[in-house]
Amino acid sequence: MSIAEESKNGVESSASPKVGSRRRAATAQSMAAQQRDISVSEFFVKNRHMLGFDNPRKALLTTVKEAVDNSLDACEEAHILPEMWVRIEPTGAQKFRVGVQDNGPGILKKQIPLIFGKLLYGSKFHRLRQSRGQQGIGISAAGMYGVQTTGKPVKILSKVGQKSPIHFYEIQIDTKKNKPEILNGKGEGIDIPIGEKGREYIEKNGIEWVDMDHGTRVTIELEARYQRGKGSVDEYLQQTAIANPHVTIHYTDPEGNSTTYARATDRMPAEPREIKPHPYGVELGQLAIMLKDTTEPTLSSFLCNCFSRVSPGIARQICEAAKLSTRSRTTRIGQREADSLYQAIQATKISNPSTDCICPIGEDLILKGLRQVVPGEFYTAATRPPAVYRGNPFQIEVGLAYGGEAATQNITHDLLSDLLEETDLRTVRQFLINTFNGLGAETADRIVHNARLGSRQSPSRLKPKEVEALLHALTSVSLSEGQTMEVLRYANRVPLQFQHGACAITQTILGTNWKSYGLSQSRGSLPRGPITVMVHIASVWVPFTSQSKEAVASYPEIQKELRLALQAAGRRLGVFLRRRNRVRQEGERRNLFLRYLGEVATAVSNINQTDRKQLYGQLVDVAKKRTSDADLRLDDRGRRVEDDPEDEEFGENVIIVRPEDALQSLLKNAPAPPTASPGEKVRGSKKSDSTSRKSEGTEEEFDSDE
Amino acid sequence: MAKKKKTVAATLPTAPKVAVVLTDKDKKTMSSIMTLANGVNEAAGRKREPSVDIPSRTLSNVKYNASKRILEMGNSTNRRQLFNLTQAKSYMQTLLVANGCKGLIDAGKTTSIRGLYYAVKHTIEGTKEETFNEQVECDPIIEDVEVLLSSLREELHLFAKKKGDMVGQLVLQDSGSTIDCSQMGSGGYGIPSIVEPEIIKFVRCKAKFVLHVEKDTVWQRFNEDRFWEKHNCILTHGGGQPTRGVRRLLYRLNNELKLPVYCVLDNDPWGYYIYSVIKQGSINLAFESKRMAVPEAKYIGLRSIDYDRCNLSESVIIRLNENDRKRAKQIKQYPWFEKKKAWQKEIDKMLENDFKLEVEALIQKGISYVTEEYVPLRLQEQDWLD
Ligand SMILES: Nc1ncnc2c1ncn2[C@@H]1O[C@H](COP(=O)(O)OP(=O)(O)OP(=O)(O)O)[C@@H](O)[C@H]1O
Ligand SMILES: [Mg+2]
Repeated sequence: MSIAEESKNGVESSASPKVGSRRRAATAQSMAAQQRDISVSEFFVKNRHMLGFDNPRKALLTTVKEAVDNSLDACEEAHILPEMWVRIEPTGAQKFRVGVQDNGPGILKKQIPLIFGKLLYGSKFHRLRQSRGQQGIGISAAGMYGVQTTGKPVKILSKVGQKSPIHFYEIQIDTKKNKPEILNGKGEGIDIPIGEKGREYIEKNGIEWVDMDHGTRVTIELEARYQRGKGSVDEYLQQTAIANPHVTIHYTDPEGNSTTYARATDRMPAEPREIKPHPYGVELGQLAIMLKDTTEPTLSSFLCNCFSRVSPGIARQICEAAKLSTRSRTTRIGQREADSLYQAIQATKISNPSTDCICPIGEDLILKGLRQVVPGEFYTAATRPPAVYRGNPFQIEVGLAYGGEAATQNITHDLLSDLLEETDLRTVRQFLINTFNGLGAETADRIVHNARLGSRQSPSRLKPKEVEALLHALTSVSLSEGQTMEVLRYANRVPLQFQHGACAITQTILGTNWKSYGLSQSRGSLPRGPITVMVHIASVWVPFTSQSKEAVASYPEIQKELRLALQAAGRRLGVFLRRRNRVRQEGERRNLFLRYLGEVATAVSNINQTDRKQLYGQLVDVAKKRTSDADLRLDDRGRRVEDDPEDEEFGENVIIVRPEDALQSLLKNAPAPPTASPGEKVRGSKKSDSTSRKSEGTEEEFDSDE
Repeated sequence: MAKKKKTVAATLPTAPKVAVVLTDKDKKTMSSIMTLANGVNEAAGRKREPSVDIPSRTLSNVKYNASKRILEMGNSTNRRQLFNLTQAKSYMQTLLVANGCKGLIDAGKTTSIRGLYYAVKHTIEGTKEETFNEQVECDPIIEDVEVLLSSLREELHLFAKKKGDMVGQLVLQDSGSTIDCSQMGSGGYGIPSIVEPEIIKFVRCKAKFVLHVEKDTVWQRFNEDRFWEKHNCILTHGGGQPTRGVRRLLYRLNNELKLPVYCVLDNDPWGYYIYSVIKQGSINLAFESKRMAVPEAKYIGLRSIDYDRCNLSESVIIRLNENDRKRAKQIKQYPWFEKKKAWQKEIDKMLENDFKLEVEALIQKGISYVTEEYVPLRLQEQDWLD
């Protein structure tokens, strides 16, 4: 607020036109009056769309997301199996309170104000290590947005060990100085002691805290809008559960519904190693900064010690190419030398960085994660070996689920009414397209038609009878033709929910020929069918197209790996679909044959007085022999139960659920029990309806997919 | 109810109360039906897929025997299998028809092909599917069974709907009744579908030739004008494409009574085709040619030149359509027309005219022009195509 007012005043003094006179040109003096430092915080206040706070709905998501991502990062770094509590409560018109607590290591008292009250303060920017956060902006930006829109400070509670107190801070960021302002405890914060006294304090002050030995809780109040559907908090949490099967999330939505995504494995993901930057991955500007900051005395030691894959020999080659001495003092390297050094690096052959610093989710856990959340008959996963773009190691993984019931099929009357009430979309058709994932315009039209609703009818003004008709249409119109592939994109295990069109993942999926894997696809669009694809890029530095971390940039190396991973998964799906089709066809054939056998046997026995029953039995035997494929039982790896070496076999990275079982698990409204290996605890999760695949959204970017 | 349905196939037609004496022909037919059925047991017993090889009734399996001047069926067959998606139903239907015929022979009765269709039509047990949906589905299966068992239709105790009439200087016996074809009034004697010597015996014949016209309307004209009396002949029509009964009768008149056969048909590809069938036999029933085709039959008209020759006016012409042109070109290439210059010229002329003419068009020249001038003149001048 204050910023906006201020700049308005500033402008008025110099640039406002006088009535009846020509606009006065700016002079160097008048301009000088306006030139001053721009604090980073100030800059982001004006450009908050860059950070994902473009509109109230997205602000809610971004806030939850920044907090959850941080919690997961912290837990994993501390080798703690993450368990989180996410709670969103309405506090007034368009106002919500978001609380996120983790069981992580906690934060040291003196760090808390800096982390939550200062932009560009973090532990992850200066290192190359696979993590969710990387910029040091996330949580403080969320806090800043909250303070700005509600005036309420960010509350942080953090506890680092069983014996230590809970550090309690109420902070807001001073946008001009990019400095934290602590509001409680006379600017020092408060330590809530352990034991009975502390508990009393918490109780008395209405502080929310799940009692535990260590962990952090962040509470931010902000202006927001809650709406389920595409790009919602619910979708984000669900997708997070898929890509992070080691995480348990307890979620309470603004309506008070509780959902728990239980972890599917107790195995922590391997710990990513931090690596030094590879020379190829460093831009000229960054190189100059590194030269300025380094404590290494000589160029050679700088190159060898601050980069990976640079041996003294390579350092010498670089220096020679740059026409610089290996013993040049780093302090003496100026702009021109840095430039030639940069050129020399590009011209020198340097081996790729080691890639063991990347920790993929792994095929096994992708399958578990997908199976836990997405209903289906067939699951497969493919993890590519690590590769390198611009000196940065990365790794691509793909998971694919096929079949299963669509969200429209098991929606309840209550949920539909809620969704209709929430939406601010203008037509029922738009509502359908934006609420249900993978439901194309064509199918939406069919549903609207089936429900005998007008195409221009407003979803929020439907009469009870019309809601009834819509519900009936949703459950009766077949979706399989109109359904399109649902794409779940992840970067370092974080779901990417926006800017599909701009993302290398979407582009590569669109460029893949899914027809050859038995799916129908019209050119340049997503394939059709009940299919969900998750794609994960893990990297020490994910190349996003913007700070809001919504889309992966299209490096050719990345696109190639994406393509190969998608193809590997696609091929297995193709084998499955072909095999399933064959079994189905043979079954249909046998039915057809059996239908006529009785007639043939009757006619023949009537002509030549032979035994009808015997002949019929013999004919049935021949029919069975002829259509033996129909008896094939595929085991859970997709192999024929009776061994047939001729047939291509699926590897370990496939799960096949017999349709009966898939249905069973749906009916119980509980995830199908994942095929757990011994030693792993698998807890079923209680899911409310709000976790089924459905979504809604108003953002224009969705249109690009339609 | 269901029980009744089930028994339909097995017992129709109702078993005879008195033992029926089978003729030698019946015994032969029965034994081929038996062989067909035994083949199924044999295959099933050896866990093989039952199939039947049905002589193919397509143009590619029809040969023109130039010396006998008739169409004959070749040796190629089509295999029909029970365990083949597209053939399963027709295989089943083949056996149902065979069984149906067996029932007819057992009972010593004949029925129409429509009758048989009803006899073998029922709902397949446990489904909503009918064994046959329409008669057109059953008719080709009957023809299949004929060629499969090399039995004639009447040997299967079947007949088609009768079509075609006859008047003229002929006395015959039909199933014991004596029929004088010169005493048939305006309706004529309906030609039965089975005209085998057991049923129809020629008693007395004063006629010198047979005049066959295409359809009923033209035939009425000739009968009303008592053409057969004036010209001492027999007058027949086949109601378009002549049935087997009509063709068989023409064959017998030609073969046994040595009467030449002259045809008066429309000047269009269809008329040419009817002539071709009478003369050489049809592709579909090539196996019957030897007892039906009349290679001696002559084509009197109408001719492509008649528009000019008879001085007809434009109002009676009918333009050829694309299908007509295609058919005409096909017929032109039939091996039995191919080497005949006159026929080539005839068809070319029609294509050149690009119109067709119906026999009725001659009425423009007078109501009885066709019976009093056109045909007598052609006969007198022996002006016909062969
Ligand atoms: N829940 C938490 N538990 C422990 N440490 C935390 C927690 N949340 C934040 N931190 C620390 O605070 C730092 C700043 O977090 P912030 O979200 O602002 O930036 P980031 O995660 O490094 O990068 P990004 O801007 O990409 O999110 C983190 O780097 C981390 O060290
Ligand atoms: Mg962060």
